[in-house]
Amino acid sequence: MESLNHKEVINLLLQLATMLIMARIFAEIARKFKQPAVVGEILAGIIIGPTILGTLMPDLQTYLFGSHAMSNIALDGFIQISVVLLLFIAGLEVELQVVWNQGKNALKIAVASMVLPIIAGFVLAYAFPEFLGVNINDRIVASTFFGLTISLTALAVVARVLMDLGLFKTSTGLLIIASAMIVDILGWFVFSVILSMSESGKEGLGIWQTIGLTLAFTLIMLTIGKGLINRVLPWINKKLAWPGGLLSLSLAICFLAASFTEFIGIHAIFGAFIIGVALGDSEYLTEKAKEILHQFINNIFAPIFFLSIGLKVNFIEAFDLGIVGVVVIVGLLTKYFGAYFGGRWAGINRQESMVVGFGISTRGSMDIILGLIALDAGLVSDSLFIGLVILALISSIASGPLMGWAGKQKS
Amino acid sequence: MYKKIALAIAFSPRMEALVAETKRLALRFESELVLIHVGEKTDELTQKLEALVTRLDLDRAKTKILWKEKGKPVKKILEACEEEEVDLLVSGALKEEGLLMYYLGSVGRKIIRKANCSVLTLIDPKVATSDFGKVVINGTQLPITPLVIRRGLEFSKKVESAHISILNEIKMYGLMMGTAAEDSEEEASQTRRLLVQDEVKYVEDILKDLDHQGLRINIKVTGGRWAVELARYCEKIEADLLVVGDGRKLTFFDRIFPHDLEDILSTLPCNLLIVKN
Repeated sequence: MESLNHKEVINLLLQLATMLIMARIFAEIARKFKQPAVVGEILAGIIIGPTILGTLMPDLQTYLFGSHAMSNIALDGFIQISVVLLLFIAGLEVELQVVWNQGKNALKIAVASMVLPIIAGFVLAYAFPEFLGVNINDRIVASTFFGLTISLTALAVVARVLMDLGLFKTSTGLLIIASAMIVDILGWFVFSVILSMSESGKEGLGIWQTIGLTLAFTLIMLTIGKGLINRVLPWINKKLAWPGGLLSLSLAICFLAASFTEFIGIHAIFGAFIIGVALGDSEYLTEKAKEILHQFINNIFAPIFFLSIGLKVNFIEAFDLGIVGVVVIVGLLTKYFGAYFGGRWAGINRQESMVVGFGISTRGSMDIILGLIALDAGLVSDSLFIGLVILALISSIASGPLMGWAGKQKS
Repeated sequence: MYKKIALAIAFSPRMEALVAETKRLALRFESELVLIHVGEKTDELTQKLEALVTRLDLDRAKTKILWKEKGKPVKKILEACEEEEVDLLVSGALKEEGLLMYYLGSVGRKIIRKANCSVLTLIDPKVATSDFGKVVINGTQLPITPLVIRRGLEFSKKVESAHISILNEIKMYGLMMGTAAEDSEEEASQTRRLLVQDEVKYVEDILKDLDHQGLRINIKVTGGRWAVELARYCEKIEADLLVVGDGRKLTFFDRIFPHDLEDILSTLPCNLLIVKN
């Protein structure tokens, strides 16, 4: 097995240390301003990336992130694992019981809040690919990808905002949470379909095969898989070290599921997400264990991922006001009105629908992961990716105050 | 509280014990008793039932026997309950061969799912006497919970329970505490404290409007899925009765991805009272 040399090891360790320290500092600053940690972590990435540090101290930035190719590959491995774990934790957050209890209303809101941005995003990107910066050679896939990216909700971020506002356990809060959970599930289905479209012309699976595999994998995991988990988890809890045994084995099955879905041609992160849902739904995964997994992933791996975004692109050089403006306006309006009309369709009053609309518009996790996948696959330009990141920042910063404001409006 | 209590009888070995238990409940609640049999009415069965009524000394004026000759048992039992405006239907559970484990068969489950009245499932009915000394009530924040607590306390009073525990689940505790990890240690502990206090307050607010004089009530807060936590708690304290609510009809999806209630029905930790709207 090849290994890093002395200098590369030092470089990798410095990279990780810098990322974790900067992410922590900026997450704390964000916390002081009552903002979600993800806002600080993204800003930290922009600061130590080519945008700020690369301009002010190019030598230092190059030494840290551009001098050792092998270290960068190792760091990329860390980032990949971070993404898989983020999806795993996103799956753990989905509580099927909460989703069922909220029932049709949550489904209506989730669907409406996705359909409008997906259609608007698709039409916009398809009509103006060059202006927006989507890949003209893969126009349909790139446009759908763009639509899907602006249609997602960040469950973890909205949970934080709802807790800060004291709305988490209200009926509106639970409705938002359940809708966000459904958005997550639907989002990953649409994602796998798009992936198959992009690969159908090549050696990948056909669209129907991918949809079939995705559905089969999900159903098997949530029935037989969950049954197996229910048999194995009590044994793990009882016989192995706690929480050591549970932590290492749950991560192991997450990686196994992720590698399996990658192998059968649906992305690794889908497997991580679904196994997260199955594991989280098991009554034997205690809430204490969930709390530990959350803390461990959210404070070590999530910062590495969110900070890495800033390392990928130069936010000043590739900044395009026109693109950012369009992405932000279209993203905010379509998602808000989609959710708002979804709420009205579900028979919820105007004021509550407004709160739901602003809540569901909270972004800053899965949307960024999807944006990055699109960027890496060459489906979107740097400028469009920047637009997506800025949309995530604005919506996660604004959703708290906007929900608070909407809550005070007369119905 | 219950004007009419019904029991579906099947001439099984446990029938006598079930009738005896239901009779005791009818006496406690001063209610009328309806015995429902689905199947052919033969002389032999009529005589058997007559003998049982005499042996258990049922009040004939307040006891009605219904023979539903043809049809599916679940449908006929539920029809009879509606016709007679029954408030509480009593049923027996099945016992796992050789084990001290009880569960509900498909008929029992269907009845629970479809009944409009409350259903009491007795796991181990006795001819002599049965005690409801320790009662556990589901206090988890659900739309039906205020009614469940009210009915649970009324029932407990009538059967003179010594201990009542109201168990509350903090919903999505892991997600909330995981999110709270963005805060300082002090703030996170404060969040944890508030979550517990909020649950206790929820139950206390419901109790404020209820008459619970003479009852020893204990409020417990857990993090986890309520059905599982309730079953575990009932086993731990060896409870005699668990009171839960069922506010909605189950759908096809609940069979694939079981509803909380289904968890309890698959292994009954003790007698179970399901309160309906």
